[in-house]
Amino acid sequence: MTVAFYIMAAIAVLGAVMAIALRNVVHAVFSVLLFFSALAGLFILLLAEFIAVVQVLVYIGSVGILMLFAIMLTTKVTGDPTRKLLSRGWAWGGLVSGALLLAFLVPLITQSKSESNSQLSNFNPSVKDLGLTLMDPYFASVGVIALLLTAGLIAAVVAASSASGE
Amino acid sequence: MNNFIDYKLIELGQWTVGLFNDYPVVQILVHLLLATLPLTLVFMGAFGFSTWLERKGLARIQNRLGPNRVGIFGLLQPLADGIKMLLKEDIVPDRSDKLFHFLAPVMLMVPAFIAVGFLPLGDGLMALPMDSAILFFFAVGSLNTIAVFMAGWSSRNKYSLLGGMRAVAQMISYEIPLVLSAVAVIMFSGSLNAQEIVASQQIQSWLASGNLVKEFFGQILGWHIFKPWGFAGFIFFFVAALAEANRSPFDLPEADSEIIAGHLTEYSGFKYAIFFMAEYISAFAIAGIATTLFLGGWSGPVIAGLPWFIIKMFSLFAVMIWIRGTLPRLRVDQLMGYAWKFLLPLAILNIFVAGFYYFAEQQFGSLAAFIGGWVIGFGILQTAAKGLSRLNKSPTLDGKRVYQLVE
Repeated sequence: MTVAFYIMAAIAVLGAVMAIALRNVVHAVFSVLLFFSALAGLFILLLAEFIAVVQVLVYIGSVGILMLFAIMLTTKVTGDPTRKLLSRGWAWGGLVSGALLLAFLVPLITQSKSESNSQLSNFNPSVKDLGLTLMDPYFASVGVIALLLTAGLIAAVVAASSASGE
Repeated sequence: MNNFIDYKLIELGQWTVGLFNDYPVVQILVHLLLATLPLTLVFMGAFGFSTWLERKGLARIQNRLGPNRVGIFGLLQPLADGIKMLLKEDIVPDRSDKLFHFLAPVMLMVPAFIAVGFLPLGDGLMALPMDSAILFFFAVGSLNTIAVFMAGWSSRNKYSLLGGMRAVAQMISYEIPLVLSAVAVIMFSGSLNAQEIVASQQIQSWLASGNLVKEFFGQILGWHIFKPWGFAGFIFFFVAALAEANRSPFDLPEADSEIIAGHLTEYSGFKYAIFFMAEYISAFAIAGIATTLFLGGWSGPVIAGLPWFIIKMFSLFAVMIWIRGTLPRLRVDQLMGYAWKFLLPLAILNIFVAGFYYFAEQQFGSLAAFIGGWVIGFGILQTAAKGLSRLNKSPTLDGKRVYQLVE
């Protein structure tokens, strides 16, 4: 488990770093996809099957393709190699984000580790339970989200059809 | 006794794993190999056999002989093809993206083999027994799109790129009716677990009755395809599956008369062979999942288990070959319109029909629901299909065709 976690985490970090550092936009998108797939693997390690599936289905299968389509519309795939990727104040930004990481994230992680062990015994991450939870106590919010998404879909259809028609 | 082949195979596996009791690390490796290696080898063999089957079948449809030189009936032709492909020069275009050009076939093959792992080949015979196997199958299937796009983009060839774009548009469009027609089954079975979906298609009370005739029909009559929504859903699923697997008549991404070979244009030698293998294995996988969802999976009379699954899966593949020999290729505009304006509304309607059928079965008993479902539910679906096809008819086709260029 731990070995698998470190491998996945290393791949995720590698993918994220490459997504920023690569000059070719298509390569960058594919490294984002690498990051997403490593994340899906991490979710599987956490026994969160459903979230892993959604990660693959939605993020790799759909969002990734959407990004690729958007990139197909740009003319220049490779950026200007003479320009620097890092801005001048990058050291300050790194310092601030490192400080934030140390100040907030690390204490939170160490804290949650001790708490989760007690809850782990009655923790059952099955898809069925997730579905029942979504449909019973949280039905109203799920319904509102579904309605909003449908409205967005219809709006997109209307926008597309009025642009091409007439 | 039913399922005895499955149980013997599982016993054999457990015996083999038991040999390594003293070496836990080796045991895990052996366990993993036993789950994956036979599957890989069997499906690779099935790929070779089915290329022969396809060429022979197409030849029969077209009144030719087909491969008949290598071995009896040309049975060794796949082997000869494989050796030829291995020995061919691997040509990589000079200005292509070398890494992605190399990675694309791999990216296509890995999801294809993972998808095969989610098939319930028999009772307890499943390489990746997960709780939400069906969902995983569709998630992994959506990765094919990216690989095809990768191949099309990295080749630096306009035909490749056109093929890649076509493939992306087609696969994303047809994934929606594909999953929606499967949703009806998942709703009815109340589970995403492939084994439970198979179990829901067996009439359990008949199987336990001890009556031989009832046991025989209990393995058949519960299949979802015999229900009105299941029959309609199977047709939607199969049509969408043909498009997902890039099979004819939806083989537009590699339409050889229009864009040479689409995303495959710049591939040669063994990479081309890998592309072909991945496509066939995806076709097997999707035929297998159609079997699981609608045709009762591994259930069947007398020899329930692995044999029935293989028979059903190959029958569906044979239908794919038959369709390839029969139907001409769709046009691009027809393709998108068919998915969004015809299959999608019908698949959504089918979900409602399945829901009503579920409650009708609980209210009025299964026989009344069956008859009523076929009369009312299927009637609604058919009327909707007719209405939709009339709505979708392009106005120019109503009157007499006008040929502007002739005369």
